[in-house]
Amino acid sequence: MPTVEVEREDLESLLGFKLPEEEDRLNEVLAYIKGEVKTSGEEELHIELKDSNRADVWGVEGIARALRGYLGVETGLKDYRVAGFSGVKVHVDSRLENIRPYIACTVVKGVKLTDAAIRQIMHFQDKMDQTYGRSRRKTSIGLYDFDLVDPPLRYGVAKPTEVSFVPLDFDEKLTLEEILEKHPKGIEYSHIVRKFPVWPIFKDSQDKVLSFPPIINSNDLGKVTAQTKNVLVEVTGTAYETVLRTLTNVTVALADRGGTIYSAKIHYSYDGVSEVTTPNLDVQKLDLDVGYVRKVVGINLKLSEIKVLLEKARYGIAEASESKITVQVPCYRVDVLHPIDVVEDIAIAYDYNKIQPRWPQLITIGRLSSEEDFRNIIRELMVGLGFQEVLTYVTTNPEVLFTKMNLKPEKVVEIANPKIVSMRSLRNWLLPNLMEFLSHNTHVEYPQKIFEVGYCVIHDEKRENKTRDVEKLACVITHSNAGFTEAKSILEALLTSVGLKYRLEEMEFGSFIAGRTGRILVQEKDLGIIGEIHPQVLQNWGLENPAAAFEIDVSKMQQLVRK
Amino acid sequence: MVELPENEAKTLLALKEAQGRLDIKGIVDKSGLADAAVMRAALSLESKRLVKIVEKKETRVSLTKEGMTYAEKGLPERRVVTVLEEMGGEAPVETVIKSAGLEKDSLVIALGWLSRKGWAKIEKKDRKLKLVKTPSKEADENLLSLLNEKGSLIVEVLDEELKNAVSVLKRRKLVKVNEQITRELELTDEGWEQAKKGIAVAEEISQLTPEIIVTGKWRQKKLRRYNIQAPVARTWPGKRHPYLRFLDELKRKLVSLGFKEMAGPIVELSLFNCDALFMPQDHPAREIHDMCFLKEPEHGNLDKYQHFLERIKQTHEDGWKTGSKGWGYSFSMLEAARLMLRSQTTAASARMLINKDLEIPGKYFSVARCFRPDVIDRTHLPEFNQVEGIILGEDLTLRDLLGVLERFALDIAEVDKVKFRPDYFPFTEPSVELVAYKKGYGWMEFGGSGIFRPEVTLPLGVEVPVLAWGLGVDRLFMMKAGIDDIRSLFSQDLAWIRNMVVV
Repeated sequence: MPTVEVEREDLESLLGFKLPEEEDRLNEVLAYIKGEVKTSGEEELHIELKDSNRADVWGVEGIARALRGYLGVETGLKDYRVAGFSGVKVHVDSRLENIRPYIACTVVKGVKLTDAAIRQIMHFQDKMDQTYGRSRRKTSIGLYDFDLVDPPLRYGVAKPTEVSFVPLDFDEKLTLEEILEKHPKGIEYSHIVRKFPVWPIFKDSQDKVLSFPPIINSNDLGKVTAQTKNVLVEVTGTAYETVLRTLTNVTVALADRGGTIYSAKIHYSYDGVSEVTTPNLDVQKLDLDVGYVRKVVGINLKLSEIKVLLEKARYGIAEASESKITVQVPCYRVDVLHPIDVVEDIAIAYDYNKIQPRWPQLITIGRLSSEEDFRNIIRELMVGLGFQEVLTYVTTNPEVLFTKMNLKPEKVVEIANPKIVSMRSLRNWLLPNLMEFLSHNTHVEYPQKIFEVGYCVIHDEKRENKTRDVEKLACVITHSNAGFTEAKSILEALLTSVGLKYRLEEMEFGSFIAGRTGRILVQEKDLGIIGEIHPQVLQNWGLENPAAAFEIDVSKMQQLVRK
Repeated sequence: MVELPENEAKTLLALKEAQGRLDIKGIVDKSGLADAAVMRAALSLESKRLVKIVEKKETRVSLTKEGMTYAEKGLPERRVVTVLEEMGGEAPVETVIKSAGLEKDSLVIALGWLSRKGWAKIEKKDRKLKLVKTPSKEADENLLSLLNEKGSLIVEVLDEELKNAVSVLKRRKLVKVNEQITRELELTDEGWEQAKKGIAVAEEISQLTPEIIVTGKWRQKKLRRYNIQAPVARTWPGKRHPYLRFLDELKRKLVSLGFKEMAGPIVELSLFNCDALFMPQDHPAREIHDMCFLKEPEHGNLDKYQHFLERIKQTHEDGWKTGSKGWGYSFSMLEAARLMLRSQTTAASARMLINKDLEIPGKYFSVARCFRPDVIDRTHLPEFNQVEGIILGEDLTLRDLLGVLERFALDIAEVDKVKFRPDYFPFTEPSVELVAYKKGYGWMEFGGSGIFRPEVTLPLGVEVPVLAWGLGVDRLFMMKAGIDDIRSLFSQDLAWIRNMVVV
């Protein structure tokens, strides 16, 4: 979800009208483009745009273009055309094929650039690079003062120390290698090119460097100022379509600022690809079934209504009959994949809040899962036995699971990228979480009796997800007289209440006192463990009262009860 | 002659013997009654205006663990001075400290107090410690010895010097003080009068016993009247966790609206968490800051799903038969097999769509723990709960979706009014955000929803519209329980959980 910073005055000048001051009202307007004000100042607005696919509204020009339509100031297809050939030819070195193979260029002449406009265009460029360009891996944009550039241009490769130039915002020449080490952008994006022996370089016919894509522009040619009249736009990347769509969006944004669009010719020498003219401003045609629109939205919209709504959403209409509309999708709408996307725009233009909600009359029978039913029986019994239910995290760490429980660490399921190191392991048993809970409550009135029914996760090679969720019940009692006998009497009450006969088999387990530990067997199946907590464990958790506990496998218990 | 219940009579007599004034412990000793019995009798006598309960504050001082060490070994500054004297009144700091056997952390303390007490000072030039005077034992040390001997003392009876020492040592964390209330009983004038006249013991029964009941003795005696206002020991009942109780209630409401419960695993295949939901494989939300990936093994097994997988792959690449253009990239099967902790309950919905028991029309819901790599603060948790559901039916539309959302908001969240806003999810189109107004809370975002994209349903073999919705239950509960810190959901504070009112 990109958040864009918009200068209110610049937006209003593009819109041609004033925006409401009040935030709620402003949000109502922005809802049309799935935007929401995050912070609003007198001069600047931060707008969060929820659609991570609709790149055209991540810039102020696109926001204005869309809102003018929804608010009825200017509706229908906005026509963008190439006025002619700019004279720019770009030769692409075939060695780029496996590095960053594609480039697209355009020249937009006569753009009216104010400082605010430049800031906004740079900001749009950044949002496109970050989100649509996947942090410049997929695509990145470069803007240049066309009047300083001498075509034809070459998109080629260079060894890390072969070429040097003054990068943007620096005043000394650096080699490409030095740029990756010293320039902030070089440091940030070096991983994109590092793995290759030679790196992309963009030069003009005088061998002057325009940029080192996707890292940084030259300070001499690649700087756009309020004096710049004619802008050369370049997009490089690894995905052909994405490169073209990115260029389209930057191009129309500059055209919205009064520019005239000129094309460039790209010469590739890869197998099967030759000359391509960019930018691509073609309108896509999409057949929209009128019945489908009504069937999705759920209201009987008239054809004329649908046409008006389409135009508000800035689509064009090539042809329309009672059953079918041929919709013209503007070149910048890179998000339209399916007619359903157009239908949504119709519904948005109509306004969701004008649609009368209807509760669907479907005859279905509601039911909890049998696991939930059983879980609830267990919880009810534990509550009846005087235990307070608690809720803890599934993620924890080996110290909690093993070390503090006086056990040798075992292999558990772990997260590769935890944000909090102490929450990197998935618990394989529940009792440690309860002990941790008690350790935070030594000052609270005793006796303390707590339980939790919760999921644990263990490795299981045979399953599709290589793990198994095991639902467990654990409970612990602690007070000055707590002991094994009390825990056993609780266990007995629980198991007999669900009709299970059990027996305990003596066993040794580090967390419990030897001779006061038992494996719980029901129909000779291992259901869990019971014992009096070992004083070492109590000490590890800073507990001063004796404690006794048991833990059982709820899923297994349910199977046994069913038999 | 006044007739009093036995315990009250005994209490009054004990008071009379003690010239009209005695503390509770004294009465317990004299009367042989239990502590609580004396207190109950006192309250009852007070209500009869025969005695007055006088509360007296008593501050008890005792040694802390550190204090005990010093009481044994002497204060660090004293230990230094003693050694310094032995060394002739002047020696390098390090040598003195070493000989005094001080630990690193008490060094600073010792030096600080030496200069504060004016016993010794450091020559800055050569870092030598010089004795200024040979100090005699001061009040703080006297107090330490006293405490070491007696265990604890009552501050109120100490002389001024020792009282000051208490506050000095308290600041040094060597002693702790505890305020205690002791209660004394005092006969009132009327009490004296009655005591002089003589007291008759009323034959009363306090605790009924089986013997008294069976033999019928209770007919001859009087059942003592209790002071029902007297405080009692607190009982903590077993209770469900407040948040889980709220989720139970939510599930009950969903079942009553015709929803069946569905489920999915905690460790999920990317296939269900992402790919089946038409999230392109290079979608920013699929990166490491948004999803918790499994360390080992990294990939699961997709054999069971080959049939769907092929269609999903094609849908991503060129739209397959869904009427979509697709994302236009090369789909990786390995990426689809990647294992992660469920990041959204929608994964369970995707699984339900290929379940052989799927009913059309059908309504399903699931409540599940979801995971994301996040920090813990007032508004973030790495584990959170989601409630999601799907509704399948031949003629379902956006209008029906709005109807479902409105119903949830009014029935489940009990809000006053609702509003809908366009929203975005990779897997739904149209997408709707539910915004609801509740008095006292204002407008709040409650959940996201939409109609599953054809790119989601068709590859999974579902040809009817599927309405999908999710509710921000954590937020909903916080509102209901009046909590503004999301960490409270997993609160480890037993007292807080015990005291939560059940509603």
